[in-house]
Amino acid sequence: MHIVLADDDEDDRLFFTDAFDELKMDTKVSTYNDGVELMKYLNQEDALLPNVLFLDLNMPKKSGLECLKEIKNNKRMANIAIAIYSTSASEEDIEETFVLGANIYIKKPSDFKALKKVLSEVISINWQYHTNSLNKDNFLLRIQ
Amino acid sequence: MKIKKLFKSSLFIRIILLTSLFVILLIGGFTYKHISNLTNSTRIVVYTYEVNVELEHINSYINDAESVHRNYTQTKDTLYLKSYLIAREKINNSFVQLKELNIVNVKQQENLTNLKKIIDKLFLNFSKTDALVKTDEINTGTFRLFSFEEKVILDSIRRQIKEIIDLENKLLNERQKEYQSDLRFTPLFFYFVLLITLVIIIISFNKINTDLINIKAKNDQLLIFKESTNQSEIIGKHGNWVWHIDSNLFTYSDNLYRLLGEEPQSFEANFDNFLKFVHPEDVDRLKNELDKMIVDEELPFVSYRIVQKNGKIKYLKAYAKAFYGIDDQKRLLGITSDITDEIESFLVLEERNLELERNNKELSAFNYAASHDLQEPLRKIQTFISRLEEKESEKFSEPGRQYLKRINSAIARIRLLIDDLLQFSRTNKPDKEFVMADFNELFENAKQDVAVAIIEKKAQITSDLLPKGSVIAFQIQQLFFNLLSNSLKYSKKETTPIIKINYSKIKAKDEPKLVKATKSNYHKITFTDNGIGFDQKYSEQIFDLFNRLHNKRDYSGTGIGLSICKKIIENHKGFIFAYGEPNVGAIFVIYLPVDTI
Repeated sequence: MHIVLADDDEDDRLFFTDAFDELKMDTKVSTYNDGVELMKYLNQEDALLPNVLFLDLNMPKKSGLECLKEIKNNKRMANIAIAIYSTSASEEDIEETFVLGANIYIKKPSDFKALKKVLSEVISINWQYHTNSLNKDNFLLRIQ
Repeated sequence: MKIKKLFKSSLFIRIILLTSLFVILLIGGFTYKHISNLTNSTRIVVYTYEVNVELEHINSYINDAESVHRNYTQTKDTLYLKSYLIAREKINNSFVQLKELNIVNVKQQENLTNLKKIIDKLFLNFSKTDALVKTDEINTGTFRLFSFEEKVILDSIRRQIKEIIDLENKLLNERQKEYQSDLRFTPLFFYFVLLITLVIIIISFNKINTDLINIKAKNDQLLIFKESTNQSEIIGKHGNWVWHIDSNLFTYSDNLYRLLGEEPQSFEANFDNFLKFVHPEDVDRLKNELDKMIVDEELPFVSYRIVQKNGKIKYLKAYAKAFYGIDDQKRLLGITSDITDEIESFLVLEERNLELERNNKELSAFNYAASHDLQEPLRKIQTFISRLEEKESEKFSEPGRQYLKRINSAIARIRLLIDDLLQFSRTNKPDKEFVMADFNELFENAKQDVAVAIIEKKAQITSDLLPKGSVIAFQIQQLFFNLLSNSLKYSKKETTPIIKINYSKIKAKDEPKLVKATKSNYHKITFTDNGIGFDQKYSEQIFDLFNRLHNKRDYSGTGIGLSICKKIIENHKGFIFAYGEPNVGAIFVIYLPVDTI
């Protein structure tokens, strides 16, 4: 399974890869430092498109929202499952990304255990089923 | 209404005048008739007197003639014969006089003719006797017969004269009576007519007097009104002007001149002189409006600038409408108002608004920094600590592990504070939309958000059926959430928390607490709990930002939750009150207007 994360924060990238390492799942994780790098990779003709793309919103050069728009406007990439992965969970951000076609919204947890739980849950989502029953209430992932 | 009354009053006076004229004519007519009656009656008296005098004359002439004749028969002196002829002539003259008096009565005419005949007879007799005297046959039987006849004739003459005089007196009496009966009612009639005239005059005097008093009072009122208009024009910074359409003349009020920065009535009031003051950029537009005004006879609200002689620019607003007075003259009544202050304060307000907008932008930028940039390092610290606890736990001593825990809880607290502060600042934003929402649904959502605490504390929550209302839905949900979590947070350690939510629709005038209410109907929702409560003296303070009544080791509040509640209620133009009793519980009462618009 191919997982991609675009996040400008080094620590968050570290937590992310550490979490997948510890989950010991059959995943290939690639990380990109900002939106520009991410789009450069995705726009390559022979690029291996990720199964799930984790997208931070607040990034320099090209923000997560811009990336989201570009991806959803590109026929080749439009089907990538996109998980918004952000520190804030403001109403405006949630609303906007939902409208633009993101599949799930994750607020970065402040506990490593919780992070692992969230990631494993997201990985195991049946996207076909999830996207069909997607609405504003289940868009934001809540971890009990 | 009053104008109509005045009209009526002038009509009344006209009627009075006509009636008086009529009465005077009537009196004149009657007086004329009366006087002519009097004259007639006097003439009749004089006439009768003259007739009588003439008859007396005749009588005396006859006597003269008789005595002269007797003397002649005794003396045969022809001198007597002469005077006897004179008497005869005088009698004839008297008859001529009588004829001239023009006796109308037929009977009297007959009498007179008779008298003349008898007199003629007498003189015939005289001449017969005279003939006998001439021939000295005085002592003859014939003479004596003649003398006797003479006596008889004289008697009949006297009788006849008496008869005529009597008849004449009788006629006089009859006529006098006739006039008298005519004249008897005249004074009475005059008296009545005079009385009526007097009454009419008194009434009309009274009427005119009251009208005068009324007019005077009206005049006084007008004066007062005029003066107060002058003063209000000065205070209200407006002036009025009248365009007399028929005569094309203008009158400007004193204050209109002052608005232009000129002395009152210092120049002739007309279009051209006024336009000299208008700002060059506004002249064409105003001229246009005035041209339209001349056609439409109405001036809609029009604003323009003027330049006073000292260079000051003022903003004026004018409005005018046609008006018909009692005299049916058409006028255009206009008001011109100085709105410079309004415009200036509007500009200041606009400036302030822009400033406020800039401040708001800065504030939301700060909010973003607080939400994102502050949270991020904290979150990372927490994650690193959780990694330390997980991976390196064994390498720490017991105090070390305790320190890690303390660090973790301190950071959790900072994050909670930041979250609450953000929540508070978000409720500040005024551009939220009011939508129709079911309070029951919002309450259920809020309950879901505190579900963990409800289960943990085994709390019992009961609620009445809540209404629907036009509100900022997520804020009301936040309000319910804050009140519920407040009650759960400050519950007593060993008691099952019981939270009751009651609802009723009330009228503001029935609630003594709602003295400042701006609407008449409110939704009243009460949250009652059996928690630790608070002293009533803190019932106001409790809503202040960062105000905490309890130790933060025992109770985890930030002192922001209730401030958010108050802010939300204020956003909805409602009211919130708190009632508490230590160790018994707290009651929060919220009032939300039924109609938010």
